[in-house]
Parts: sequence; structure tokens; C-alpha cells
Amino acid sequence: MDSLTNRLIADIKQGDEQAFAELVDLYKDKVYQVAYRMVGHVHEAQDIAQEAFLRAYTNLDKFDTTRKFSTWLFRITTNVSIDRLRKRKPDMHLQDAVKGMEEVTYESQLAATDELPEDQVVKMELQEWIQSEINQLPIKYRTAIVLKYLEDLSLKEISEIMDMPVATVKTRIHRGREALRKRMRHL
Amino acid sequence: MKTCHSHDELIHIYLDGDATKEQKEELYAHLQSCPSCREHLQELKKSIAFIQSSSHIEAPEGFTAGVMAKLPKTKKTAKWKL
Repeated sequence: MDSLTNRLIADIKQGDEQAFAELVDLYKDKVYQVAYRMVGHVHEAQDIAQEAFLRAYTNLDKFDTTRKFSTWLFRITTNVSIDRLRKRKPDMHLQDAVKGMEEVTYESQLAATDELPEDQVVKMELQEWIQSEINQLPIKYRTAIVLKYLEDLSLKEISEIMDMPVATVKTRIHRGREALRKRMRHL
Repeated sequence: MKTCHSHDELIHIYLDGDATKEQKEELYAHLQSCPSCREHLQELKKSIAFIQSSSHIEAPEGFTAGVMAKLPKTKKTAKWKL
């Protein structure tokens, strides 16, 4: 594990809150992105990401410092995301997701570049479309697909995050790929 | 076109990068003669490429401050206040 993260964790355990702020700064984009990809809604993603950090803070003693911190943090994040998705009212979900997507893609595009506005529009639509396809995936395939293809993590790391054998992760990725293909094949 | 499922599993093993040399040879030979499996593989590749074309997103402004404001008060702080 990298030494900066190690040092920050040691400081946090000594009661140094500023060290925790630094740790959040270091990992916030990754955690937020996983949360957003899982739930497809900006406000909910922010809420989930914050809760994930708070849980990490209160459970830091349980973290095994010989392991990779991001793996542990992603596990908390996906667990919080899955809890929220299960509690969600089914009829709210689609509308919220669409509303949330417009916002995030708009904001992230504004921050991003000096591209021509037309290019930005095309890209925003593509991003919304991608997220809407991810939102259609059953939760158990979604986690595996997000970690593999959007976070680019190894199967071993995904298996640690999802707390299941590599063989099971592979099966879920296979089924997730098939689910995506079936929706997209006629385009 | 007749739908063929004889190589579905091997196609996924191949996409995972887990196919042995023999498995790859078997798959390539089958693809030569099977338009259904060729199309299946092509569609899967397209789906993966599509998902991977998504942009990275960043945490919103003020995120860290938001987390810090919600931190539970430590016992140490409580003692100091007394």
C-alpha cells in the first residue's frame, strides 16, 4: 500500500482530523464515481459517498493495513450503494436517474474542456445513454461490470470488494456483458 | 441465420483473456464457419467498448467539507470541553 495513505491512516488513528480530510481529498473522486455509476443519480451518489467515508472513519480500526485501502473503501461504497438501491421505491427510480444524469454530465462537461459546444452536446448524450444502460443492469451484475469496465480493476480486487470467489465474479461479468449486449444488439 | 450457442462459454473465457492457445485455436476455427458466433462476439465487444467510453467524473465542490462536518465528535474533544 502506498506510504502516503499509510501515514494518513496512522495519523487519523491518533485523532488527527486534518489527516482524515486529506484522505477524503485523495479518494473522493474514486468513491463518488463508483457511487454514481451504481445509482445513476448525483445527489444520491454524493450522499452515499459521504456515508462511505463516515463509515470508513468510524471503522478504521477494523481496516487491515497490510491490504489495499481503496479495496476496503470500494467495498464499503458498493455496500452502501446496494443498500440504497434495495430501499428505493421502484417507481421513483427511472425519473430520478434521468434527472440526475443530466446534471452530472452537464457539470462535468463544463468543468472539463474547451471543446466546441456541439461536441459537448454529443458527448453529454452519450454519457447519459451509457449511464442509463448501466442503470438497467440487475444490481448483482452492475457491481461487477462497474468495477471491471469503469474502474478498470483486476478480477482479484473485484473479488475482494464483492467478497466472493473470482469464479463467481467472472460469471457475473459474463451475465452482465450478455445483458448489455441483448439491449444494445439492435442499435 | 441459425442461432448457435455451442461456443458461448468459450467466447466469454476468450473475452476475459483466459483462453489457452488451444481454446483460442478452437474458437477461431469455429468463428470461420459460424456467422452466429461471429456476430455474438462482435456484439459483446461493441457493448464493452460502449461502456468503456464513459468519462470520468469528479466529486462535487465542497465534498470534503461536507464529510468533515458530519464526523462524530471524538471523546477527546468532549473531555476538552469539560
